[in-house]
Amino acid sequence: MPPENEHTLIEASRAGDSAAVEELVRSYQGRVYGFAMRMCRNAEDAKDILQETFLGMIRSIREFRGESKFTTWLYRIASNACLKKRRRGVFEPEPEQELSLDDLMPRAGPDGRKPEIADWSEDAERALLRGELSQQMEAAIDRLPPEVKIVLVLRDVEGFSAEETAEMLKLSVPAVKSRLHRARVFVRRELSGYFQDQRKS
Amino acid sequence: MTCRDLFERLSEYVDGELSQEICEEIQRHMEGCEPCVAFAKTLKKTAELCRRLPSRPIPPEVAADLRGVLVTHLSKRK
Ligand SMILES: [Zn+2]
Repeated sequence: MPPENEHTLIEASRAGDSAAVEELVRSYQGRVYGFAMRMCRNAEDAKDILQETFLGMIRSIREFRGESKFTTWLYRIASNACLKKRRRGVFEPEPEQELSLDDLMPRAGPDGRKPEIADWSEDAERALLRGELSQQMEAAIDRLPPEVKIVLVLRDVEGFSAEETAEMLKLSVPAVKSRLHRARVFVRRELSGYFQDQRKS
Repeated sequence: MTCRDLFERLSEYVDGELSQEICEEIQRHMEGCEPCVAFAKTLKKTAELCRRLPSRPIPPEVAADLRGVLVTHLSKRK
């Protein structure tokens, strides 16, 4: 949607214009649904998150003053709804302690030689064409802890900046970068395993 | 710069968030370190692949339900 149209819609929505609210919802519902579905992998939960997000939007749109982008503001509501769906168990480790870089760093050989790292970036293009890769990637992303997964989804799948992601999740920019890096390194390792198996067979 | 130092900053590197000075240090390290080159290439590829993942479209009945919930809410507000 062109920014000037969006601005008009937001202003009308803030003034209580129901038709404008509905149009605003229509222009974002697909994107929010895709995000919710990727985060929770469950159609029922995604539907709840979607409804919660837009009800939240209607309730608080008067407080939206345009200090951040509308999308950032909306995704903050959606992100909260997603994370609320999966409450952290008492004994689960904090996200900062999960996926430590030391554990994720490729190990040197026992003789101190550098680890062998395959460059599968070309294989990835071929696997993508064959339509096999998306499923592998989604499965790898799903194995991330939710607080780390959401950072990868917002940054790399949805394409938000580190600053926008930090604002949505109420995290510092360095915390976003740290989670993103660990998430990418983890997914990269999972994909490496996949390509290694592919080469063997 | 060690492999470990480089490994820690690789996402910032592929995202273009580091100073020119550090980028040059990383490039110098990579000239003599094949594993780090392969790691950097595949990490960058991982991020690119995420951007290309297809999203599930919203089913018409989910959109209809949403509209129903919102219309009810909006009419109560008046
Ligand atoms: Zn190295």
